[in-house]
Amino acid sequence: MKIEVGDYRGNMVVSLTGEIDMHSSPVLREKLLVLIKDRPQKLIVNFRDVSYIDSSGIATFVEGLKHMKTYNGRLQFSEIPRDILEIFSFSKLDKVFEIYASLDDAVDR
Amino acid sequence: MGESEKRVTPDDRLTGLEKRVNDLQMLIDVSAIISSTLDLNELTALVMEKAKHVMRADACSILLFNHKTGRLEFDVAMGSDARDGEILKRHVTLGLGEGIAGWVAENCEPVLVEHAARDDRFFSRADDLTGFTTKSLIAVPLLGRGGLLGVAEILNPRERDSFSGHDLELFQALCRQVAVAMENALYHKDALERQRLRQELELAATIQRSFLPDTPVKVFGQIRLSGFTLPARHVGGDLYDFVEPLPGMAGIFIGDVSGKGVSAALFMAKVMSDFRYQAHGTADPGLVLRRLNQQLSDTPRGMFLTAIYAIADQRSGAVALAVAGHPPFLHITPAGVTVVNPDAGPPAGIMDTDFPVTDLILSPGDRLIMMTDGAFDAKDGGGKRLCFDDIVSFAVRNGREDRLTDLIAGFVTDFTGAADRADDLTIVEMRYGI
Repeated sequence: MKIEVGDYRGNMVVSLTGEIDMHSSPVLREKLLVLIKDRPQKLIVNFRDVSYIDSSGIATFVEGLKHMKTYNGRLQFSEIPRDILEIFSFSKLDKVFEIYASLDDAVDR
Repeated sequence: MGESEKRVTPDDRLTGLEKRVNDLQMLIDVSAIISSTLDLNELTALVMEKAKHVMRADACSILLFNHKTGRLEFDVAMGSDARDGEILKRHVTLGLGEGIAGWVAENCEPVLVEHAARDDRFFSRADDLTGFTTKSLIAVPLLGRGGLLGVAEILNPRERDSFSGHDLELFQALCRQVAVAMENALYHKDALERQRLRQELELAATIQRSFLPDTPVKVFGQIRLSGFTLPARHVGGDLYDFVEPLPGMAGIFIGDVSGKGVSAALFMAKVMSDFRYQAHGTADPGLVLRRLNQQLSDTPRGMFLTAIYAIADQRSGAVALAVAGHPPFLHITPAGVTVVNPDAGPPAGIMDTDFPVTDLILSPGDRLIMMTDGAFDAKDGGGKRLCFDDIVSFAVRNGREDRLTDLIAGFVTDFTGAADRADDLTIVEMRYGI
C-alpha cells in the first residue's frame, strides 16, 4: 500500500493505493494518527486506487474517526471503488463515515 | 644495542611459549563457552570477561549494530567499575564513522591504536562520562553472514604501554568465534520468538473455540440451530452462539470482530460473555444489540463487531432479528432463495445508535442461513476474490439441498484451493420444522 498526503483546494487529502489489510493497516494507522494530532478540521481520504480493504483497515479509520470526533473534526471518504463501496454498504459503514463520489463533493460539503 | 637486536634468552623463550599456550587455552575455553550457551547476553559477557583476563586488559566492550537506527549501541562494557558499563549502555551510541568503533564498523577492518589520545578518530565522550582513560586499544568488527553484527574492543593492556600485533591476531581469532556464536544465538532467539508467537496464537485459537457452543447443533422445539467455523491461517474473530433467552424462544447469534490474531480472539471472548449476559431474559434483539454496542463503545484501536441476532418463537416460527453492520443473509423457502438485507445499524462499538428490528415468518421447512465475510472474502491462488453474488448464485442453484451450509463451505474451500484462507468462515443456520 502507498500513502500520499497532499492538498486539494486547501484541504488535506490522504491518497491511498493498493490493499489495506492486516499487514498494511499498522503503517496507515501510524500516519493517520500523526495527521490527526494536528487536529485538522477536515481530512479527506481518497480511495480511488484502493483495490481492497479488510476489517483491520476499516478499524483503523474507525479509530481515526473517534479521535476526530472529540474535537468535531470530519473524516471524509471520496472516490470509493464500486466493490469496496458494496462492502461499506453491506456493513452499514455509510452510516458511520461521510462518503462522497468525488474530491470536489467532499470539499464542498 | 637496539631493541630489535636484544638477545632472546631461554627464559624469554619459555615465557613466550607459556603465553602462546595460555592464548591457545583461552581460545579453547572460549570455544567451550560458545558451545555451552545460546543466550546472547550470557555468552558475550562470559567471552569478554575471559578475553579481558587472558589479554591482561583493563576493560573491554562489545557494541552491537542496530540495523534500524544505523548506530552502534553498547551491549557489554567491562571495566574496573561496573557502573561505567551502565552509563555507557544508557548514554552512548555511535554512528558509522564516529569514534574508533564507528570507523571499524564503517570500514569493516580491525584496528590497533597504540595511543588513543593521539588518534583523530578517538571519541572522548565515553571517557568523559565514566572517568576512564583510554590509552591503547584494539577494535575488531564482528562480521556475520548477513553483514555487520557489531564491534568488539579491548582497552589498556596492563603492565605494557600498548597492545602488540600478536594481541591483535589473538583478539581477531576470538572475535571470529564470537561473531559465529552471536549469529547462532540471534537465529536461535528468532526461532524462539517465532515459536512463542505460534504458541500464543494456538492459545488464542483455543480460547476462542472454548467460547463457541459445545455442540454444532441445538434443537429448541420446532427450531433447529446449527453452525460451524472453518478456521483460517490467522486466528480470526468469528463467533456464533445458540441461546434460549426466554422459555419458548430460540436465539441464534453470529458475529465477526475486526482484525485477526490474539487481540481479535480476546475481543471475541469479551463479546461472547457480554452477549450471553445481555441476551438473557429478553426477546428484543434490537435491545440486546444496543446494550452490546454500549458495552463495546470503549474498545481500543477502533475494533468493532458486525453481528446478527435472530430470535424465533419455538412453536410459531415467527422471527425477530436485528443486524449490526453484518452482511445480508439468505432465506431459503421451497419457492427459492431470497437475499434478506434488512434495515440495520452500523457495526457495534463505533457510535451510539439504535438497531431496528425486522420481523419474518418462517414456514415449516424454511431456513435462514447467515455467514461471516470469510465466505466472500476468500481469495483463490490467483488473487481473485469470491464475491457475495457468487455465493448467492451458488445457494440459488443448490437451494433444495438439505446440507446447504456444508455445500457452501465446500464451495468456498474449493475456490480457495491450495491458497490459505485469510479469514475464518462461519456459517449458521436456523431451520423451522424439524
